[in-house]
Amino acid sequence: MKQSFFARLLRDRSGLAGLILITLYLLAALAGAFALTPYPPNEQHVEDLMQPPSAQYLMGTDIFGRDVLSRVIRGATNSLKVGIVSVTLASLIGIVLGSVAGYIGGQFDNVVMRVMDIFFAFPAILLALVIVAALGPGMRNTILAISVVYMPIFARVARGPTLTVKAKEYVLAAQSIGTRRSAILRRHVLPNITAPLIVQVSLALSWAILTEAGLSFLGLGAQPPDPSWGNMLSESRTLLELAPWLAIFPGLAIMFAVLGFNLLGDGLRDLLDPRLRQ
Amino acid sequence: MKRITLFLMLTLVALLALSACSAAVPAAPAEEAAPAQEAAAPGGGTLIVARAADAKGLDPHKQTAFSSFRLLELIYEPLLGLNETLEVEPNLADSWSWSEDGLTLTMNLHPGVKFHNGDVMTSADVKFSYERILNEETGSAARSYFSGIQSIETPDDNTVVFTLAQPNVSILAAMTNPNSAILDSRTVPDEDPSKVANGTGPFVLESWEPDQTTILKANPDYWREGLPKVDGIEMRIIPDEASILAGLRAGTIDWALINDPKIAVSAASADSELVIDRTPALAYHVLQLNSGREPFTDERVRQAISCAIDRQQVVDTAALGEGKVTAPATSPFYAAPLDELTCYQKDLEKAKQLLADAGLADGFSFKIMAAADEPPTAVAEAQNIQAQLQEIGIETEIETLELGVYVDRWLGTDFDAVVALNGGNPDPDIMFYRYWHSTGNLNKVAVYNSPELDKLLDEGRSAQDPEVRKAIYLDVQKMLTEAAPWVWLYVGYEYRGMQPYVKDFTPMPNGSIKYLRDVWLDK
Amino acid sequence: MSQFLGKRLLALIPTLIGVSIIVFVVMHFIPGDTISAMIGTQYKLTEAQAEALRAYFGLDKPLFQQYISWITAALRGDFGYSVRSGEPVLLEILQRFPVTLELTIFSLLIAVVLGIPIGVLSAVRQNSFIDLFGRFFALIGLSMPNFWLGTLIILILSRYFGIMPNSGNFTSFFVAPVENLKQMIFPAITLGFAFTASVMRTTRSAMLEVMRQDYVRTAESKGLSRRKVIVNHSLVNALIPVITIIGIEFGYLLGGAVIVEDVFALPGIGRLLLNGIQQRDYAVVQGTVLFIALNFVLINLLADVIYAYVDPRIRYD
Repeated sequence: MKQSFFARLLRDRSGLAGLILITLYLLAALAGAFALTPYPPNEQHVEDLMQPPSAQYLMGTDIFGRDVLSRVIRGATNSLKVGIVSVTLASLIGIVLGSVAGYIGGQFDNVVMRVMDIFFAFPAILLALVIVAALGPGMRNTILAISVVYMPIFARVARGPTLTVKAKEYVLAAQSIGTRRSAILRRHVLPNITAPLIVQVSLALSWAILTEAGLSFLGLGAQPPDPSWGNMLSESRTLLELAPWLAIFPGLAIMFAVLGFNLLGDGLRDLLDPRLRQ
Repeated sequence: MKRITLFLMLTLVALLALSACSAAVPAAPAEEAAPAQEAAAPGGGTLIVARAADAKGLDPHKQTAFSSFRLLELIYEPLLGLNETLEVEPNLADSWSWSEDGLTLTMNLHPGVKFHNGDVMTSADVKFSYERILNEETGSAARSYFSGIQSIETPDDNTVVFTLAQPNVSILAAMTNPNSAILDSRTVPDEDPSKVANGTGPFVLESWEPDQTTILKANPDYWREGLPKVDGIEMRIIPDEASILAGLRAGTIDWALINDPKIAVSAASADSELVIDRTPALAYHVLQLNSGREPFTDERVRQAISCAIDRQQVVDTAALGEGKVTAPATSPFYAAPLDELTCYQKDLEKAKQLLADAGLADGFSFKIMAAADEPPTAVAEAQNIQAQLQEIGIETEIETLELGVYVDRWLGTDFDAVVALNGGNPDPDIMFYRYWHSTGNLNKVAVYNSPELDKLLDEGRSAQDPEVRKAIYLDVQKMLTEAAPWVWLYVGYEYRGMQPYVKDFTPMPNGSIKYLRDVWLDK
Repeated sequence: MSQFLGKRLLALIPTLIGVSIIVFVVMHFIPGDTISAMIGTQYKLTEAQAEALRAYFGLDKPLFQQYISWITAALRGDFGYSVRSGEPVLLEILQRFPVTLELTIFSLLIAVVLGIPIGVLSAVRQNSFIDLFGRFFALIGLSMPNFWLGTLIILILSRYFGIMPNSGNFTSFFVAPVENLKQMIFPAITLGFAFTASVMRTTRSAMLEVMRQDYVRTAESKGLSRRKVIVNHSLVNALIPVITIIGIEFGYLLGGAVIVEDVFALPGIGRLLLNGIQQRDYAVVQGTVLFIALNFVLINLLADVIYAYVDPRIRYD
């Protein structure tokens, strides 16, 4: 039990595999952000149109002669950007709303959770789709849509444990000696809802990557020429036969990134949820 | 008791099944009457057609989308037609004649043509239809072609006389347009043509489920003897053209319209029996600059853009090489030789010089608007243009919009630049007048005009001799490419994919599929 | 029980009102208008014509008034008319809903038929080859975007097998069952893949948990056959969370169906919705989204009820 959490995670097979995949993903995203790609991702090589994978272009080129590898790397940057920003937004707002509602209770709790219920009345992807369709395509609106859709889930996850913790003796004691509400929330409530939240963040990231890809696939996410895995896949749809590599590599990229977060989520749950510990 | 009931029911079912069977057996054809030619080209069967976009509406006078024409030209007919080489030919009118002064046009109608509801078409229907087109309240897309018509008279049931304000030979080409369809004057006032289709064409609309399936039946009273040859057409909408190709390969589709060159190339690249018709198109891909907006108000900036774009490169990338660089006029007879046009050779030095002269040596930035899938190559064209313009320091942002928003902005001239696929026409007057004459109905969108251009376009409209017109429109094209309000890019192909057993389809450069009336199934 | 149901149904009313408001308001943020989308690229309406059309479709009234007239009509089952086809929206939805329903039910069947047995086997033979395979399969299933899977399936089928699941000639199950199944099977696999994965995972972990419980160990130690223990004791108890997850995810299939219908060109309500969005057919989008949300809410309620019924520990309050 003295072993650090991280060390234990490393010994968990899924956790380790997840961490490796996520590290690769993060490295790719960083490389993309700092322009460390083999070629500039939007550079067109007119003399090398639609080349299959080769030593020069490891994942081939597209109809403009752009290097697919460079675009997949840059796509990681965009997908991470959407994932991190939207999950951060969703979790911050969601956690604050959920824990405050749970802590204060009463009418406020009722109203907040009713409003959250309304969001739960839509299949998530549908709500995101309708929001982006209304606001107009683009990364910023994709981020907004994903945040809005995921926020209620965080609110719910934060509220449950808050209710439990609120009834605990040490919280009641703190209240009786006049500790301020915000301090109680920060000191006593927050630490107790961390475990389920971390699992939720990991799952939310994987879902955000998938949703971003799905919206871009429908033409609503990142706009060309900016590469996103989803819009690369959607561009490849009509070229499946002439250039299958255009569909295979971005698809694999999405799959491995999502897999990484799912594996990490599994690993974390094994570690954090005592009931499942073997 | 129970047993008896069961027995009765079984008998009933058997009877029903029998009667269903006999109903399904077609009546034996009267063989002695069949001429030899028909034996070689037997009719019958339903042609399964697939395409990506459905008609936007049924009222033939109001439609503007290519996808609407592809349905309505099977149901409705205009007075005149175009043959496969785009020459005007008789259709509902058997013949026509001009008066000496070119101001009176007399049409002799084909006698005995019937609408799908059985009404006989007469000169009254023609007069009614043209008046409906000319009535501003109808909102007809063809109105501006006919605005020169002063009066329409009907001396008898089969004769229509059009009187024009000034000579206009291109009115014949306009009369071939699907928008110039003849409607039934007896039913239209009560039955909205956007709901009830009643034309004279080879096919009768049986049902239309938008974005799903359209069922057409052969018109038994069609005035062209022996046509159509198939019993009917089932037109399916499959938004993804890759799926259309898959359906063709799997044999569940007989005939398909293909817009995306990527799909057409895929279809042709694999070993298969499929026949892919590839006809050079009249519709042209173009980069429209808004010369009403800074810095495009400066001719030099527009010229710099025109000089910086290698048009062939746009074709090679966005369209996989499937197309030809085009002059402003796209019909082969009127198209200007490319080497006589300004900036048709990429010239970066000249482009940079022009920018510097305009005081923009450090470049500038603007937005290119494109519709998501209209045409399928639009966003790719914008991306290649973007890359090419970077070479002279111009940064661009691509705005991909859904068709509805795109149309709004396009009509409102609310853009810096836009990539578009605009309809072509064998007659240059129809192509140019509405965009480039200061009174043209779309000059507001094209923005640019000039007195010299107005004068040439007016001359071209009323000139009678084709060679004279050709010279006039050569000047128009030189003037347009010099002023460079638009950068004309290329013309692609009209693709039709079909099974080897689909016989006798004649493709048309304007994309028309009216010759589906000749098609028969050899299987 | 009926009281519990009644309460839950009552609680739906404010939720659905909220849903309708969100749908209505969001739709009106959309730039561009229905009228121009109908007209197409090559022609400009005069302002008077556009106004006349707008008035005809009630698009010129204030937003609040449009909402009230829309929602009161909707309560009577009148969702307005599609600007595109002129048909009543409800009729279009009802015509297409069977396709979506069938797709989701098939996906559900695939998930149950494959997911539960693999999950059980995985748990019973923990860390065996089957377990590893099952877990790997489940992770892939959860990580693979369905639009990619669908695209790959279409490529492989049409290119190498000359089969096309659906070429726009969708046939109802009641008209031609075999033809219908041929068209449905691949979309259903695409949509059901991730679902199968989560059913499998839930079954596995629930089984593992139950098998560690004392009563199972007792049963085993009393010498009951392993098969009997698994079926009579473990599986029945492990099914509770599985049913919950099926209830929750079945609703999500409605969302996933939107994309899968697009990929496979199935004429379900998902495609109706996407077409509606593209054509700014307000009435269709509002009606469809409201309809999907209603179903989603009802399915979740049903899952809750089943859950409460299966698990005696839940109180009906």
